[in-house]
Amino acid sequence: MHKLRILLVEDDADDRNFFSFFLKDREDLSLLAPLENGVGIIEALEKFKHSNNLPHLIILDQNMPVRTGLQTLQTIKEKACFAEIPVMMYSTYVTAELKKNSLRYGALHVIQKPCDKQGYYKMIDSFLEAVL
Amino acid sequence: MKEGNNIIKYKEKIEQLTLQLNEAQETLDAIRTGQVDALVVQHNDGLKLYTLQTADHAYRVFIESMNEGAVSVNRDGIIVYCNATFAAMVHKPLSRIMGKPFIAFLTEKTIPIVENLFIKCWSRNCKAEACLLNKKEEIPVLLSLKTLKIEEHITLSIIVTNLSDLKKSQELLESKNCDLEESNKALEISNHDLQQFASVASHDLQEPLRKIYMFSDLLINNEMKSISPESKLYLEKIISSASRMKTLVVDMLNYSKLSSGNGVVTKVNLAHVIKEVKEDLELVIGEKKAVINSKKLPVIMCNKGQMRQVFQNIIYNALKFSRPNIPPEITISAKIIASNSWDSEEDKNGSYCIISIEDNGIGFDEKYAGNIFNLFERLNSKDAYEGAGIGLSITKKIIEKHCGKINAESQKDKGAKFNLLLPILNNKNI
Repeated sequence: MHKLRILLVEDDADDRNFFSFFLKDREDLSLLAPLENGVGIIEALEKFKHSNNLPHLIILDQNMPVRTGLQTLQTIKEKACFAEIPVMMYSTYVTAELKKNSLRYGALHVIQKPCDKQGYYKMIDSFLEAVL
Repeated sequence: MKEGNNIIKYKEKIEQLTLQLNEAQETLDAIRTGQVDALVVQHNDGLKLYTLQTADHAYRVFIESMNEGAVSVNRDGIIVYCNATFAAMVHKPLSRIMGKPFIAFLTEKTIPIVENLFIKCWSRNCKAEACLLNKKEEIPVLLSLKTLKIEEHITLSIIVTNLSDLKKSQELLESKNCDLEESNKALEISNHDLQQFASVASHDLQEPLRKIYMFSDLLINNEMKSISPESKLYLEKIISSASRMKTLVVDMLNYSKLSSGNGVVTKVNLAHVIKEVKEDLELVIGEKKAVINSKKLPVIMCNKGQMRQVFQNIIYNALKFSRPNIPPEITISAKIIASNSWDSEEDKNGSYCIISIEDNGIGFDEKYAGNIFNLFERLNSKDAYEGAGIGLSITKKIIEKHCGKINAESQKDKGAKFNLLLPILNNKNI
């Protein structure tokens, strides 16, 4: 069975740790090395593509320095060869505006950051349910 | 010598003329003030008697002493009469006004206006604003023109109203309006800043709160063996405090959002709103085995999202404050009423409605009925019942934004009843 490759883009070190800590036990997932911001997203995706290792899902944090999640989302969707990769936005606080803009720019889901293991599982499962 | 004689002669002549002038002035004053009823004037062909009728007399005195300037001019625009008020306005003695053209007393700018007026006024009455020239200042005036025909002679009567005070008040009003506009702008900016602050604060506060919660949770669940039961208790307290603070921050943000005023009003079926709220609260309703009966509810003009929050808050409270081991029973009913008052009569075609939400929960002492809508007001300890004490404040604020009223009635342990009085056709956006 193929493992679901997930790329997290998240500037907060704690949140990167939580992500791998809570999801490391899931055998159906393969967690790619997370990015600390959205600036190098295209270069990173090119590399993954080269090694035939493109993520099946990208999770973007909204509040990041230099380039926000929304801006990173736009960058990905503008690049034809990566536009098809499903993107999920997450943030500590999801405003109606963030939700609206994310969906408009082509995000699949916009969710609040999970608070526990169950939450992280649910986040991934909601994606699996949507694509399967 | 001859010159000296001439000087003496001229001086005498001047004295004589001054006497005559004083006499004439006295006579004039007597006529003006109404002390004289008749005049005897010597003409070449003998004496002639001029009498004044009593009615004329009253008008003469009135015109002389009224607050408005009164001027009569002839066809050529030359002043043939003016009252003392007008003389005072232009700050000149009467002798230097009579016989002069009216426009000589105007500021240059307003001369064309009055010249134009003089052309029009012979065919109809007219009014215009102009400016009199006074030694010290310019006086804005309103000119009211009317032609009078007396025994074949046509004269033009002009009533001159001093607008200085009016203009001053107008200017004052304008400057006050300007100030008001500025304060409004400042207020808008500060409101916006507050909004920004609430938004940033609620977002930025939630980040550390979430981490406090997560790390505490990790400690409890993953370090079970190494922590004492006491430490576990403290950690649980940290978690519950963090989650309460989160509720507070989210509620505060919602409360501040209400002030921004971007609520669109549409036709909303309240039955649909209740249905949605029930779906949202499905979990709690199931847990508590609650029964929610809703009777026939009206369609009203309101902001759907806000109205949903109202019912969500009240129904959630009814579920939260249920009596132990007694399943909550909530009844929502409505009646259409004639006027905007709690004791208004029922009227099927009325333009207001009262929606009542009644429960069988713990209720509250009637004396707190007014307090429960205050911000951060709690009647029960936060250990027994979670919540920030903002819910009902938001509810009240929304109802008031809809030009409605809310009240609550209850007795301790006998359930609570919340009543909303709302206009049915409130069609302005809020």
